[in-house]
Amino acid sequence: MAKSDDCVHILQGLLVFGNVVIGMCGIALTAECIYFVSNPHDLSPLLKTTEDSDINAAAWISIFVGLALFALSILGIIGVIKASRTLLLVYIILMLITFAFEMASCITAATHQDSLTPDLFLKQMLERYQKSEPANNSDNQLTKAWDELMLQNHCCGVLGPSDWQDYTSAFRLTHSDADYPWPRACCVLDAQGLPVNLDGCKLGVPGYYNSNGCYDAISGPVNTHAWGVAWFGFAILCWTFCVLLGTMFYWSGIDY
Amino acid sequence: TMLPLLLLLLPAAHGTAQLRYKPALTKEPRLEGLRTASTFVLDQPRCVFKDYGNADIWLVVALDQDASTFNNTAGPGTPETAFQSFPDPVRAYMTLNATLVNYPCPKPDGDITVLRVGSETSCAQDVTRPTCNGPLPGPGPYRVKFLALEGSVPVAETAWSEPIMLKTAKSPSSISATGSGHSAGMIAITTILSILFAILLAGLVAMLVFWSSESCGGSSSFSKPESVTVRRYNTHHVYDQPAARL
Repeated sequence: MAKSDDCVHILQGLLVFGNVVIGMCGIALTAECIYFVSNPHDLSPLLKTTEDSDINAAAWISIFVGLALFALSILGIIGVIKASRTLLLVYIILMLITFAFEMASCITAATHQDSLTPDLFLKQMLERYQKSEPANNSDNQLTKAWDELMLQNHCCGVLGPSDWQDYTSAFRLTHSDADYPWPRACCVLDAQGLPVNLDGCKLGVPGYYNSNGCYDAISGPVNTHAWGVAWFGFAILCWTFCVLLGTMFYWSGIDY
Repeated sequence: TMLPLLLLLLPAAHGTAQLRYKPALTKEPRLEGLRTASTFVLDQPRCVFKDYGNADIWLVVALDQDASTFNNTAGPGTPETAFQSFPDPVRAYMTLNATLVNYPCPKPDGDITVLRVGSETSCAQDVTRPTCNGPLPGPGPYRVKFLALEGSVPVAETAWSEPIMLKTAKSPSSISATGSGHSAGMIAITTILSILFAILLAGLVAMLVFWSSESCGGSSSFSKPESVTVRRYNTHHVYDQPAARL
């Protein structure tokens, strides 16, 4: 009898510990997703045409899931200590619902991150950068976003200046190939915003133009956020799975 | 003695000197804009026209198939060699006029000495500028050579270059922007989470079945913290009745 009591106490202790961890992770998840939602990086014009709403929806769901995890972990702790069957049953059912929502959020974040290929940005840039009759304000914003991106990160195009040579573009329609092999923003600029050496830039002399592509600068922050939502959520769910299994086992052993 | 001298002079008067130099695209330094859709970059002919200090050095640009039919006596700046009529009906045009002063020899180390063919856009449509170095109208292929003229007499020429092919741009609609498929990470997340969720649901169902079967009877293993203590009943003492034994 004493041994069984010890087992019960150990199981209770483990479950309480598991629920404490879930509660803390829930708070962390909420905080991380609030940070992501409230801090949209300046690339949002670039991402607007992509299914950016997906990553935002995933983040919003994760905020509420985090809060729910925290509340349910407290419920779980109370239920385990009191060894109440009804409380624990409610706890398990609500946890499963939360599990399902968080699962949806993780998968959405991971899928969205996969869709941000270089080709997507390349096509968008070629078709809309410096479009002469901008269809709506978003084209202007896209041009501004690209100019800022190329200036700040000293990069050109998505994969490199060759993007402007390999493909025709809206930019090419208004700027001749001989005068503008690539946009002026790809040149190394001085403090006044003028190219240091325009001929050097047009020729493509190393040192007078930006030879890298901007894809790394774009995908970096987006990837961090997506991985933050997707993989952190996945880790929490794995831990929650273990705790729930333990709770089910504990529940089935409670006297009634 | 006069005869050999005359014989020596005759070829010089009749033919142009064939210089053993072949114009080529710039190899050093590596230029990103070496070949674009309408321009290309050549090395300057340094130390090539050393003996022709008085000559005008012109660049002849021709379509590949018409290079062999070019006549050296065609003058620059005439309608037969005007850039604005290239490639139809003019098959080769002359541009980038220079003298030996522009191409000092030897070339200083570290200087980038190139000629960008096709860089002048302002005069591309201006028929009053037939020697315009305008952007090339198509992807080519083109061949070039340098020709030295004294007055209107050709005195030296280089060999024709290798055919130069320019870049052709594709349309952006040829880019397929649909997702390239799912990464391993996303598939892993989806499958693992689905399996975990299925196990949990199965566990929940088992729990409910277990509960409903248990409420109709069954035993349990754990005991609640406040266990029911069996009270010992102390009934009335049953005293020995020695008298009953009798």
